[in-house]
Amino acid sequence: MVLKIFFPQCCNTADSGLLVGRWIPGHNSAVVLAVIHYPFIPGQVKKYLSELQSQTQVDLTVLGSWSMPKEGQEGMDSFLKDLSTIFPQKCWLQLSREIGKRGFTCQVVQNNGKLLQDQEQKNGDDKIILIHYDQRKVMLSQLHPVQDVGQKSDVEPSELRLVFLTVAQSQPLFFLDKYDDGPLKLTHWQSEGREASIIAELLKQVSVPVCIFLTWLLSLWHWLCSFRMLHLRPVLFISSKLSTCVQSGYRAVHFKTVFSPKKAARHMEFMRKANIFVSFLVDIALGLLLILWLYRENRISKLADTLVPVADRVAKELQELLEWLMGAPAGLKMNRALDQVLGRFFLYHIHLWISYIHLMSPFIERILWYVGLSACLGLTFALSILSDIVALLTFHIYCFYVYGARLYCLKIYGLSSLWRLFRGKKWNVLRQRVDSCSYDLDQLFIGTLLFTILLFLLPTTALYYLVFTLLRLVVVLFQGVIHLSVDFINSFPLFAIGLRICRPYRLAEGVKFKVLCQEPGTPLHLMMEINPLKCSSVLQCYRMPTYSCSPKDSWAALCKKLFVGELIYPWKQKTAKTD
Amino acid sequence: MGADSGPGAPAAVPWRKVLYERQPFPDNYVDRCFLEELRRNIRVRQYCYWAVVRETGLIAQQVSCVAVFLTLWSYMEQGDLVPSAVLWVCLGCALLGYGLYEILGGSCVRERTRLADLQSSTIFLAFTFGFSPVLKTLTESVSTDTVHAMSAVMLLAHLVSFPYAQPSPPGSLSLNAALFGSVCLASRLPGALHTFTMLSCAVLVFALWPCLLHRMREKAEWSFPWAAVLVCLAGVRGLGSLWPEGALLLLLALLTLTLVCPLLLVHLQRHKDNIHGPWDEAEIREDLSRFLN
Repeated sequence: MVLKIFFPQCCNTADSGLLVGRWIPGHNSAVVLAVIHYPFIPGQVKKYLSELQSQTQVDLTVLGSWSMPKEGQEGMDSFLKDLSTIFPQKCWLQLSREIGKRGFTCQVVQNNGKLLQDQEQKNGDDKIILIHYDQRKVMLSQLHPVQDVGQKSDVEPSELRLVFLTVAQSQPLFFLDKYDDGPLKLTHWQSEGREASIIAELLKQVSVPVCIFLTWLLSLWHWLCSFRMLHLRPVLFISSKLSTCVQSGYRAVHFKTVFSPKKAARHMEFMRKANIFVSFLVDIALGLLLILWLYRENRISKLADTLVPVADRVAKELQELLEWLMGAPAGLKMNRALDQVLGRFFLYHIHLWISYIHLMSPFIERILWYVGLSACLGLTFALSILSDIVALLTFHIYCFYVYGARLYCLKIYGLSSLWRLFRGKKWNVLRQRVDSCSYDLDQLFIGTLLFTILLFLLPTTALYYLVFTLLRLVVVLFQGVIHLSVDFINSFPLFAIGLRICRPYRLAEGVKFKVLCQEPGTPLHLMMEINPLKCSSVLQCYRMPTYSCSPKDSWAALCKKLFVGELIYPWKQKTAKTD
Repeated sequence: MGADSGPGAPAAVPWRKVLYERQPFPDNYVDRCFLEELRRNIRVRQYCYWAVVRETGLIAQQVSCVAVFLTLWSYMEQGDLVPSAVLWVCLGCALLGYGLYEILGGSCVRERTRLADLQSSTIFLAFTFGFSPVLKTLTESVSTDTVHAMSAVMLLAHLVSFPYAQPSPPGSLSLNAALFGSVCLASRLPGALHTFTMLSCAVLVFALWPCLLHRMREKAEWSFPWAAVLVCLAGVRGLGSLWPEGALLLLLALLTLTLVCPLLLVHLQRHKDNIHGPWDEAEIREDLSRFLN
């Protein structure tokens, strides 16, 4: 049986005293947390330990004795042996170190008085391994994959996890430092003096009222949004389409998480809060940078001045495209009458659109100025507004696409049905298959006429549909790029990555051991170092869930929809559950 | 293993033609009564030559119908026929045919009322008249060769898929193919009225004439051959006025179809070799209508 003792590095040079720690249940190992020095009163030690036990829920006990004899302290050994009677234990550890030597000696006394010695001749199986660990790092570190303390899991926590948990939960033990005037003198990582900074303390004090205030503001906002007027169908529909409203709703949810006055109990909650807060700060910073850049050198008015000519240009290009379609595009033979009808119809729409833009042109600069200010709410807002502006400016393209798609879809549907009539068959809706059918004379006649008409008009409609679908796809692609970048800013866990880079020991994937000292006659000394989590695992673990705009259909489904003429909305957003 | 050739066949146990019992014979053993129930050519009919010739008249007259229609179209395209005159003639023929149909079918129970017939004809006329301007411009951008090829294919499909056994409700594919071909041809004519006229002719020739012919065959058996001959002559004559060589070809084709093919059929009957046996599907021969009422 191998006995593992986890020994903190800070206690390597501590004076002699009692070892305080915990026996890991189920495994043959012990974690040493601190050393209590002489002089002490055993009763007070026991009282202190039971106080701590009720505070931390960790079963702290006296593990054994530690002796590092200085000058004038010989004769401690027998004293140390007698201590085991005062603190009755199953196993009593006696660690001792001599000045000048690297290794410790360790003796384990069992309850029944049997001595367990680390000598290879006697019992080759019984070995003692001393694992040194950096107490502060292990205390702050979190082992991944994260298993919550309160959660019932099927897997028994491993030995390593129990060690980390023990050190993390024993924080109150480390509050007593050497400047405290108590009856006990301890040595642990903080015994040289507790670290604290005034700013951190002030922030902590201030943050609670600030959080309460912000939560109250948020509830006010929610109350505003819950007006009945805003829940009418048209308003709901528009607000679900405008990405600005979606983004603001999303941010409201974020704020609710971040500004709740309750302290984050679990590691994951804490990381989530921190991630949201940091990404929000970065967002705002980027937005402010954008504002600085936009409002300098009168860029807004320059932008407004170029906007109307750009819209005009787009409309003119569309007009030219339609004229080309109404002629003989690419040498294809189109049905002249239908061509003229469709072309004139779309041209009229463009004419309407141009008039509208010209009507709005005096106000554009003002509107842009105020809209640009909204970037102070974050870069994501600015990008959402850009996406919405693009959608509004290309609304006519969207309209044309819908007209063309509907016409084409109707035609395809009619053609397939009439083709079945041509062959004398019918679609059986009950059985979902094609059956033969005997038609009446007039049904046959009219069916054939319509089939002929639809068939010969197909190339014209298909060409218009193709052209407008391509245009629409270009716009959709552009919007998709914007949405992807907004999504990226929203969901990237900046805080976690920063933590991984600056304090890699806080996100631990495992440990690695280094051999410190391997001399015969002393136990094996290992140094435990924390293996930080890989960056890709950090991303995977802490990535925030967003309304991810992944494409809704696969490529094959998309092609099929395009062919049949169904309307496509490739970047469908996952709507948040409305409660 | 043939009958009676099984070397290890004990004669004590007779062989039964079952596979669900273990028998001392191998699985592919057969005995003396193998293929006793085989029958050959039990349903072969003896054809009489002239009866077959009479029946072939239907096919011949259908081919001539197509020829007549093409002649009409050709004349209208050249501008020799005035559409209004043709329209009046068509109307007259339709009324005549309808009257004949009613007279011949006097004793039959009518499936459709006169009102339903009137409704059908109104729908047809309205639709065709309304759509004729659209139909006229349909094939403007298609080249003439393509149009002619399409029509030829469609009319051929019509001839091939025509339900010669039961022509009275006209088959879907044949009627549709004929109408499609006629729309393709009609869209090449100079005016919308021409298109309308052409389509009316097409409906008369391809949809209504077979019904009348069938009724004539049922009620007045003697009139059928005369009608068929009349149509064939009209077809040949019409084609002859446009293209004499074509008329000659048509005549030859009709003669082959009517006289030579039945000869082949009758002559080749003696090579028929159908085998029937207990493996055929069961056919119900009884008249079960006595159970219906």
